[in-house]
Amino acid sequence: MSGDASGYDGLAFDDRMATVEFRVAERAHIVVDSDVCRSCTTKACVTACPANLFAPTSDGGILFNYEQCFECGTCYQVCNGEGALTWTYPDGGHGVVFRHG
Amino acid sequence: MTDVIVVGAGPAGSAAALMAARDGLDVVLLERGPFPGSKNAYGGVVYGRVLDEVLPGWWEEAPVQRWVTRRSTMLLTETQALTVDFRSTDWGQAPYNGCTTFRADFDSWLAGKAVDAGAQLVTSTVATGLIVEAGRVVGVRTDRPDGDLRAPLVIAADGVNSFLAKEAGLLPRTQAKHLTLGVKEVLSLPREVIDERFGVRGDEGVDVELLGCTRGIPGGGFLYTNRDSLSVGVVVSLEHLTAAKVRAEDLVADLKAHPAVAPWVEGAELKEYTAHLIPEGGYDHLAELSTPGMLVTGDAAGLCLAAGIWLEGVNFAIGSGLAAGRHARSVIDSGDAKPYRKALEGSFVLQDHKRLRGAPDLVLSERVQQRYPGLVADLVQGLFTVTNPAAKPGALRLLRRAAKKNGVKLRHLLADGLAGGRVFR
Amino acid sequence: MADRLVVVLARCTDLRAEVDPLSGAITRDPRTAAFSASDAAAIEHGLRIGSAWGARTLVVTAGGVECEGPLREVLSLGAEVRRVPTRGSYVDELATDERALAKSLVAAIGGRPDLVLCADRSADRGTGALPAFVAHELGVVQAPGLVSLELDGEDLVAERRLDYGRRERMRVPLPAVCSVEAAGIRLRRASLPASLAAATAEVPVADVPVPGPAVRVLGARAARPRPRHLPAPTGSSRERLLALTGALLSHEPPTVVGPVAAPEAADALLEFLARNGYLSEARTGWTVQ
Repeated sequence: MSGDASGYDGLAFDDRMATVEFRVAERAHIVVDSDVCRSCTTKACVTACPANLFAPTSDGGILFNYEQCFECGTCYQVCNGEGALTWTYPDGGHGVVFRHG
Repeated sequence: MTDVIVVGAGPAGSAAALMAARDGLDVVLLERGPFPGSKNAYGGVVYGRVLDEVLPGWWEEAPVQRWVTRRSTMLLTETQALTVDFRSTDWGQAPYNGCTTFRADFDSWLAGKAVDAGAQLVTSTVATGLIVEAGRVVGVRTDRPDGDLRAPLVIAADGVNSFLAKEAGLLPRTQAKHLTLGVKEVLSLPREVIDERFGVRGDEGVDVELLGCTRGIPGGGFLYTNRDSLSVGVVVSLEHLTAAKVRAEDLVADLKAHPAVAPWVEGAELKEYTAHLIPEGGYDHLAELSTPGMLVTGDAAGLCLAAGIWLEGVNFAIGSGLAAGRHARSVIDSGDAKPYRKALEGSFVLQDHKRLRGAPDLVLSERVQQRYPGLVADLVQGLFTVTNPAAKPGALRLLRRAAKKNGVKLRHLLADGLAGGRVFR
Repeated sequence: MADRLVVVLARCTDLRAEVDPLSGAITRDPRTAAFSASDAAAIEHGLRIGSAWGARTLVVTAGGVECEGPLREVLSLGAEVRRVPTRGSYVDELATDERALAKSLVAAIGGRPDLVLCADRSADRGTGALPAFVAHELGVVQAPGLVSLELDGEDLVAERRLDYGRRERMRVPLPAVCSVEAAGIRLRRASLPASLAAATAEVPVADVPVPGPAVRVLGARAARPRPRHLPAPTGSSRERLLALTGALLSHEPPTVVGPVAAPEAADALLEFLARNGYLSEARTGWTVQ
């Protein structure tokens, strides 16, 4: 049954994220220092982030998009690279808005 | 002059603001979202008994989806499911037991109570840091222009990531070991269909906890009924999820595809997908509850009970918030957080945590998570499989067989049974 | 210069109304009522120009009590606010007569504004007709769809997008009605003391006639097209199967060539191709050596 999208719903990840409201702020509230990531062997953030915002790049770095962030904190909790992630909350009133949380 | 700054208008913060405002203190309640509850997500059940004293008859007006009158615990393997199902009509009438609700609704409602009591709610404002003078917290910095706010007492109710508690050194910066990640799907389903599939009527609801559905990653699944939607999701150990390199939404997809769950969610459409961290370290990994000038409440303090059969958090947040608000004045006057700590120690908030301090380790242990669901399911399947013309094998033989198949030694079973007895005594 | 008045007509609504994925029912959440990006841009332009003139800035919103939160935020930015109460129902709002709405908004303003700003179109209905009705009502010029708006002496210099990426720069004489896009400008944030002061402030409600719907909406629901009727197939299932597969019909049997040597096989292929018109006459003499 694992990973069988046709088993129940073949919902694309983008469609899943489209159900959530994000009031995107101008300032990126999470900044990834890709130079630090290049020396990271686990890249735990890539699978752990529930919003799937971390993409490994071909040169061993990490490409990150802050716009659809749940602000859950998973990435900085699992990150083992010292200083790879600068994590703050988005500016007041911005970011994710849950209605059925 | 502001007497108390409460950071975070979740259940803990609003409860604290409510009690402090009722005590005649000048309270400012800061919320970083556009409205209270907009940043919050949880499994789905609030146990409101803690509100009886402060908001009598709260159940008449709280934004409830359904009252939980049926509680099921399911042990799953890939092909089997064993359910312990309990229902009580007592839970469907005042004073009720637990209810399903959405945090956007519930937190807004509770914050409204604090505002009615005189607290000043300022939304869309992030508390970015503490103002500390001579080792004492004297206020917070916010991200608004001219945003410094001073008060003799700060109550940190800023949630699981509490940067205020971290800045004050009360909470370690990272602690993936003691955190779980919860992901939830809210699935739209017509009310009548929910009533029919779950055997409930009117505002009765169901709470289903599932074990053994997370590919061996310590954690569990849940399914709650709302008025015209279901909340389905998993809560898994962050450390182990990361190590397994599994994506959380795949676990939810697994759960929804399980033969015991699929008929419940068939035809339901995704309404919202949410994720949040949960502090599940238990008593031994709580934050320090105070520092001069600041009290820590709710998730920020790690007050969340995930003890297998009990999964509670909002009530602990409210309980700790009420205590912080109630004792705000004496903490300000004496400059000592002792009244707050004593109140928590004297109430269910710390007593439940202390009593169940061993639960997180036991519940998230490898055997409970990966072996016992299979063992129990195999045992039951053996008992009820008619083996004619062979004679019935006998329960003890079946137990031995199931234990062997699932790699459990009977002495481990015994030891865990005793440990469980000790933890849940 | 004295006693100038800048007015912003801003629409405040739930920008992400929920559509139930099963029933199509629309739910608007009063908690998430907010100004759209272009409405916020209009307010920011209003505050900026107002302070440059040393003039009052008045923000007028037609809507229900759910607008009061966002209006208080505007209040804490130093503008005056006013709310024109409307009927709450979504269906009624869909049918709002925009000319009547413009009339009541102008009545709510009270004075004679030097500049009226609004968003280029509302986020939820988006006809973009309101600025024109307001300009007509006030008898002043209009400049819709602006991406920039600067003061130049007594006039405004504005810019707007044209087709094919061209821009149009205009000198707009005052008084005027301008509608702006959310381009390169964001609403400033209120200071914490101002927010605290405005948190419990009263939002004045304009005492003007509430515009009713222009047309009567009988109902609004998700579009559910009826299924298309297809005629039942004729003939027995055996006949249909034969027609689909072409079995039992006369057809050219496959040609068996060989086993033969390669040159002969090639000749046979070429001959087949030539016979079926895939090779021209000129090439048929070609043989494999």
